[in-house]
Amino acid sequence: MNYIECFRAIARHRTSEIVITSAGNSGQAWWLATRDSVASFYLDASMSLSTMFASGLALAQPELEIWAFMGDGAFCMNPGMLMVERQMNLPNLTHFLVSNRVYGATSNAGLPNFEDNDYAAIARGMGLERVFEFRSIDALEREFPALTAANTPGHTFVVLEVEPFSADEQKLEQPPFDGPELKYRFGRHVESLTGCEIFGYQV
Amino acid sequence: MAEKTPKTAARIADELSTCGVKLVASLPDNWLMDVITTIKHDDRFIHVPVNREESAIGLCSGAYMGAMGSAALMGASGFMTVIYALTKINYSYEIPLFLMATLRGAVGDHHKHHASNGLYLLPVLDAISLPYQIIDKPDDIGLISRCYHHTRTFSRPMVVLFTRDLLRGSH
Repeated sequence: MNYIECFRAIARHRTSEIVITSAGNSGQAWWLATRDSVASFYLDASMSLSTMFASGLALAQPELEIWAFMGDGAFCMNPGMLMVERQMNLPNLTHFLVSNRVYGATSNAGLPNFEDNDYAAIARGMGLERVFEFRSIDALEREFPALTAANTPGHTFVVLEVEPFSADEQKLEQPPFDGPELKYRFGRHVESLTGCEIFGYQV
Repeated sequence: MAEKTPKTAARIADELSTCGVKLVASLPDNWLMDVITTIKHDDRFIHVPVNREESAIGLCSGAYMGAMGSAALMGASGFMTVIYALTKINYSYEIPLFLMATLRGAVGDHHKHHASNGLYLLPVLDAISLPYQIIDKPDDIGLISRCYHHTRTFSRPMVVLFTRDLLRGSH
């Protein structure tokens, strides 16, 4: 399925979820699909840490529903993250693994063992029970409600099999925020949603 | 001779709790096992053993964005693997992070394979301008709170380094 169309479909299903994106293409695609600058944290250049970041947030604010995107390039760098995620098993976390079978952020450079990597099987092998795979927009649109409707408790792992960005898509705008600006925009939003105080720390 | 853990471990845990730490993400180091075990069994904390040190950086940084106090606990060798994560997440976004690590390779370390940490750990910290505080004796455990507050005040990471004398006694 087309990467951008996949993200547009997911955005259509979004209600109040907080979103964390990974380095490169997922940030570009989510920014194109939503132009969201307050309820999405674009964790650029984080190489495999977007879902750990999301897990920390989900743990801290269990009433928030957190979606975290991660490319399979990032996943290959740190697949053991799933052990931590399974151990934490946070019911308010959904991990979207965007599988384009390349290092998308670096000009679609080749990914090791890209033809045989079975990410859903890896997740199940680490004990995850809420595992989904989507290979078409139709299936994604039709079955998306199942992500939240399944009876098995715990966090959700979703494999999205997409095509790599085209040459033109690689030129899509990156979210135009410096780090501290994004931190405050996002953090103020979390504060307003939850009543927590992130930035008012006083000794 | 300095006092040994677990009393030291209990004091470290008390100090972490005092400054509002709830989440502790850890990787093991033999010197840290009393601290890790103490925290694991202390209801004041959520202890998350992680798969690699960078995961602790991500986890604690996300917890900050949810207003949860946190600390990343690891050995010196593990710390040496997190420079990318620290500089990309905590420096780029100015997200506070409190780390605790071992001062491996220093005088008193019995393990020769930590020679590289003895040579390069502190120079690496200096190279990335990461503030650090060496804690060498139980009376200085109170510095943990001061360092934790420093990370929040300046929106930067900081690491406290525990010596062998502190964690294992000076034998």
